[in-house]
Amino acid sequence: MKKILLLLSVLLLVSIQLFAAGAQEQKAQQPVTLSVMWFNDANESDVFLATIADYLAANPHVKLDMQVVAFADYEQKLKLMISGGNPPDVARVTNNHLAALISSLEPIDGYVADINAVKAQFMPASVAFALDDAGKLRAYPTEATANGMIVNKTAFAKAGIDVVALSKTWTWDSWEQAVRKVIAANDKIKYGLALDFTPHRFSTMMFQMGGRFLNENQTAMGFNNPGTIAAIEQFKRYHDTGLIPKSVWLGSENPAELFQAGLVASHIGGSWNINTYNKNVKDFEWVVVANPKGAINSSVPGGKFIASFKDSKNKVEAQKLMAAFSDKAHNEMYCRDTFNLSSRVDAQVQYPSNMADFATFKSDLEKTPPFTANEWKHPVVNKVSAYIREQIVEVLLGNITAQQAVKNVDVKGATFF
Amino acid sequence: MKSKRQKGNFHQILAPLLFLLPNMFIFLVFIIVPAFQGLRMSLMDWGVFTDPVFIGFRNFAELLQDSVFWVTFVNTIVFSVSVVGLMVVSSLILALLLKRNTLTGERVFRAVFYIPSLLSMIAVGIAWRFILGDEMGVMNYLMRSMGGPGVPWLTSGRLAMMSVIFVSVWAGSGYYMVIFISGLQAIPTELYEAARIDGSSSWNTFWLITIPLLKSTLLVVVVLGTIASFKAYELIFAMTKGGPGYATKFIVQQVYQVAFMEDRMGYASAMSIILMLLIGFFTALQFAFSGKDQSYE
Repeated sequence: MKKILLLLSVLLLVSIQLFAAGAQEQKAQQPVTLSVMWFNDANESDVFLATIADYLAANPHVKLDMQVVAFADYEQKLKLMISGGNPPDVARVTNNHLAALISSLEPIDGYVADINAVKAQFMPASVAFALDDAGKLRAYPTEATANGMIVNKTAFAKAGIDVVALSKTWTWDSWEQAVRKVIAANDKIKYGLALDFTPHRFSTMMFQMGGRFLNENQTAMGFNNPGTIAAIEQFKRYHDTGLIPKSVWLGSENPAELFQAGLVASHIGGSWNINTYNKNVKDFEWVVVANPKGAINSSVPGGKFIASFKDSKNKVEAQKLMAAFSDKAHNEMYCRDTFNLSSRVDAQVQYPSNMADFATFKSDLEKTPPFTANEWKHPVVNKVSAYIREQIVEVLLGNITAQQAVKNVDVKGATFF
Repeated sequence: MKSKRQKGNFHQILAPLLFLLPNMFIFLVFIIVPAFQGLRMSLMDWGVFTDPVFIGFRNFAELLQDSVFWVTFVNTIVFSVSVVGLMVVSSLILALLLKRNTLTGERVFRAVFYIPSLLSMIAVGIAWRFILGDEMGVMNYLMRSMGGPGVPWLTSGRLAMMSVIFVSVWAGSGYYMVIFISGLQAIPTELYEAARIDGSSSWNTFWLITIPLLKSTLLVVVVLGTIASFKAYELIFAMTKGGPGYATKFIVQQVYQVAFMEDRMGYASAMSIILMLLIGFFTALQFAFSGKDQSYE
């Protein structure tokens, strides 16, 4: 009897185990709809869907509810969703978003076997943006971005300038001499430079002139320094002497449109412009060249990431999807089709064109000092950036001096520490 | 007898209240409660992802020292007064021209003038930026093609303010025109006929008959226009982003920037409370000036 009871108990235990395992398996395969929030620089949402099509085919229980939001409204919408306890399962974010949202993101550490191996797959600067204060990785880097100079090669050639050769050693002074010749030699070219209406793009020039936002330890503002003042004054001089169109920083016209229309000789913008210009520029030849040297050589590193949130409803499936999307093959495909630099160290993206342009952006990034990334990762720089933009415009309008502007920014920034 | 009175009470008091109840409930949930919530938030030091800390009236004290806020405050009043004034005049003129239903194509004109108010203000702002842009704008393109210099419509502070006022009036006039037309059509035609027989000039008829009898409509238009202009954001942001500098930056944009970019929800709420009081003040002023409505008797 005892043996029978023992046998029955064993059978019962085994069947419970089997049932539990079966139920777990069944649960894992239950249909799940992941809410995905995305913004586009160009065609990224379409390419994202195409890239993970094979993952979705292999995991038919996973469906996506994708919402593409205009970049201008993106951060506000995300913040409202997070504060309302209803964040998406997956979202595309920039390094600027990370500075503001990182505490709300779900750490990846708990979902992968070896987090150090994951971190090692990506560029250190990209990983640095995605680490929280405790060193936990909160997002997968997807694309690395850099600020660089894109020039109208045809216009330079018409002025007798081999811009690619010149740019290998050019400084801001030699750039200025060259673009003045370009303006003189081309009827259509009215300006030397268009620079996006953002402090991020302005910081390209600022870092090159030796400026910075914070002190070295990042414990206080440090905008009031000779390099920053020199950059603002140079920027104003370019506006006053007609090298830069006033319509961008004073009238919020799109600098990319001015470049595409062939009105400006060069554009300091992000690496994602390659995609846009490939599609839209038909009338002239353009090329990415090295940034002019000021006190130092510098670009501004940045990046795009994919992340899930602490309050996301389907974190496990979201993490699986993100891991798959970030692997070498998917990342290469995504970066190739969106014309973006990959954040992966092992990526060998075969772009259909513009290989040299990407190489130039990458080369500029390699010359960029690491503090530039750390400054843009700092939440205070993000909070004060709109005010910085306003203060620079006040200088351009002649309402205040560069010295007053940097002091004002330091006072304002100090309230956030 | 008693049951009749009860029935009368139900029809006269309870029934209207019951009909009003759903609207009152919506008003309570979506207007009154958020307003009090905003007031509570204005007394807190609070970021989106941090716990609120009660700080009393410190946000309001800081506002007094905030030079940018006061620039936006003055800009808001200048914009609002200009837009409401011009919009009332332009929409009334349109209404007077198109009120009779006798002119050929009058309905078409009404529709044409009304269409801008149906459009998204973001789309309107972007469209006008393409028209008034310095380098890529249609206006400057035409002016330069004719040999003239371009005009800094959006890059000069004063012209940028005038441009956003003009576009706001253009975009809103059609809506208020329709309200004025309904008000004008409600004025008995006998009064105009009597005035004509008495030999009253058109000008006198307008000032002594039309305007007095249009007072309640005028008040509605002025109050609605004031509230809308104080809250204007999308159109201005799409056209100028508040620039150049602070030239077209209004309180609403500053509230957005402080709340979502600087992550200071409490401080932004304090600004919103000031804006609410400002709207309330102007609305009360308009009611006070409007006096009692004229009747047709």
